[in-house]
Amino acid sequence: MKKIVLVGKPNSGKSLLFNQLTGLRQKVANYPGVTVELKSGRFEQFELIDYPGAYSLSSLSRDEEIAVNKLNEALQDPNTALVICNLDATRLESSLMFGLQVQALARAHQKALVFALNMADELQRFGHQLDTAALSAALGSPVFAISAKTLLGIHEFRQGLLALANAAEPAVPALEHGDEQALRQFSRSLARTYGLASSVVLKNQNRIDRFMLNNLSGGLAFLLVMFLLFQSIFTLAAPLMDAVEAGIGAVAHWVTGFIGEGTTSDFLNDAIFGGVGSFLVFVPQIMMLTLIIGLLEDSGYLARAALICHRPLSYFGLSGRSFIPYLSGHACAIPAIMAARTIESPRKRLITMMTIPLMACSARLPVYALLISVLIPERAYLGGLVNLQGVAFFGLYLMGIIVALLVSLMLSRFVVSRDEKSDMPFILELPNYRLPHWKPLIVRVMSAAKSFVYRSGPVIFAVTVLIWLFGYFPHDAGGLEHSYLGQIGHFIEPVFEPLGLDWRYGVAILMSFLAREVFVGALGTLFGIDGADENIAGLAANIQADGLAFGAGFGLLLFYVVALQCVATVATIRAETGSNRIAAGLVIGYGLLAYALAYLAANLL
Amino acid sequence: MTVLNPAGAVSARHTLWDAPKKAAVSVVELAACLNPLVLNRLREMGLEPGQPLICLGRGPFNGPVVVQIQDCVYTLEQQVAQHILIEPQL
Repeated sequence: MKKIVLVGKPNSGKSLLFNQLTGLRQKVANYPGVTVELKSGRFEQFELIDYPGAYSLSSLSRDEEIAVNKLNEALQDPNTALVICNLDATRLESSLMFGLQVQALARAHQKALVFALNMADELQRFGHQLDTAALSAALGSPVFAISAKTLLGIHEFRQGLLALANAAEPAVPALEHGDEQALRQFSRSLARTYGLASSVVLKNQNRIDRFMLNNLSGGLAFLLVMFLLFQSIFTLAAPLMDAVEAGIGAVAHWVTGFIGEGTTSDFLNDAIFGGVGSFLVFVPQIMMLTLIIGLLEDSGYLARAALICHRPLSYFGLSGRSFIPYLSGHACAIPAIMAARTIESPRKRLITMMTIPLMACSARLPVYALLISVLIPERAYLGGLVNLQGVAFFGLYLMGIIVALLVSLMLSRFVVSRDEKSDMPFILELPNYRLPHWKPLIVRVMSAAKSFVYRSGPVIFAVTVLIWLFGYFPHDAGGLEHSYLGQIGHFIEPVFEPLGLDWRYGVAILMSFLAREVFVGALGTLFGIDGADENIAGLAANIQADGLAFGAGFGLLLFYVVALQCVATVATIRAETGSNRIAAGLVIGYGLLAYALAYLAANLL
Repeated sequence: MTVLNPAGAVSARHTLWDAPKKAAVSVVELAACLNPLVLNRLREMGLEPGQPLICLGRGPFNGPVVVQIQDCVYTLEQQVAQHILIEPQL
């Protein structure tokens, strides 16, 4: 299939244009060896490939480097029929520099090129008329003024694309504009002739920023946004999570009723619906967090949040750009570690990736929920405004962040080398504030959910099946205590004894090194509670009756705050850093730290 | 931190990092000690000698500077901003 390549700067409406041209169905390709994502979709008889946004063709961060390399490859490909260069029509001066670089590259490879000046609806709002014919003549390539948001000019653009891509002779850029210096001068003079005055474009943005970046009002706005974000992850996602749970329960009931009692039914109920089901429950939360982060990013606020956090984070050897991965880490560490690619400094990127697993991801939630209801009485203060268990939850989240910052500080001081050459500074464009469009958001939310299921699903499935087999057999030996799992548990009991925990906790902890959320289900099985995932209160009562000491319980909580118990995360870290040593070192390092903290809590409290 | 200008005189005040809020300034030069990749990026952003800039302020807690270059607003941390020499706009 012939290909059309879409390139552009970030914040120029490129993703939305891609969605408008291809519809909502798209493929995300992960190339072997590199981990950059190229989205592709069908546009008429062509394959449209969306390259990640880049500020320039000389790369600064790793994700830009990969994007630029892949673009070069695509331009060498004889199947590439056309390059679309998407630019922000309201900011010609800064956009055209990139546009002219891409044009020169297309010319060098004898490829046709077309400029899409996106966001033309905003030009209209300012009452500005863009003379596309004259600009096209000056540039030596066709120019279309469009708006992917309001669909202004999209019909003509589609027809233009088809004509250009199907042409027998490719419309290779006709003019050569000289070296970098000449390109800069040329883009400046074109912007002066055809563009909108910067004072007009930036008026609103600068006015809002005076408030958003102010010491007092900006700080308060930031705290408010973060508060609403975490609030909505729990309140908005909760009904969806309940619905998923109820749905799985209903299917389980129907299927097992159909099969009748026996080993198959036990297996389906405990391992498949119980184990894999408990993991699907997190999907709504990941979708919700992705949606909110997407809203913040597309509205332009996330860049401000990174700016606000830069100074505080730099005390700990991190960058303002570490903020976004840290934030996503509260849903799931896997997309968060991938998001760390946008950090220019390789050193800060590494430290960020190494500390993301300490963020309180949603897999820790059921563990926290269980142990808090065992240890902390349900008491409300200030007329129900402050709930003691809620405060404990918040404390655990905060503890994750504090430990992450302390570990970052140590890593930046002692472990990760201070190679000045590789240390790239914090440079960030503050995009215009805009109302987000739903299309790219929906695509993003769905792909986050899909990749979470595909990445973690197989591991969790394997683990639950394994636990079930070892816990179920030998079946006639007299219960769990004498199963293979029980035998292993007794064997490892001495390791967990100093923490004040017996073999059942040991088995649950050991199993949860593959995935944390396994802990509750495993403990439920070990305490003889059916469906412990849905019935945390029942399990909590059983544990209380069983007599878990406060120090040991608190130690167990600390253990889960710190320990890196997630195979999928370890695999992602290994892939992103390309180092087995780092991945293994983190598992061992966090494991030892977690054990030490749990030991101290069990013996001091 | 101080920066040597071409004449060899030490000037601590006339860098983008120290520019007062709302000041309209123009670029004198970018210090050669900057990483070539960074230098290149800054040039692509339009930071060339003679380029007018508007300092819009800085992030909270004495954070990175916020500066308008052409039709874009960027934020630059101290490590970069203190290597950009400026003068008041004429």
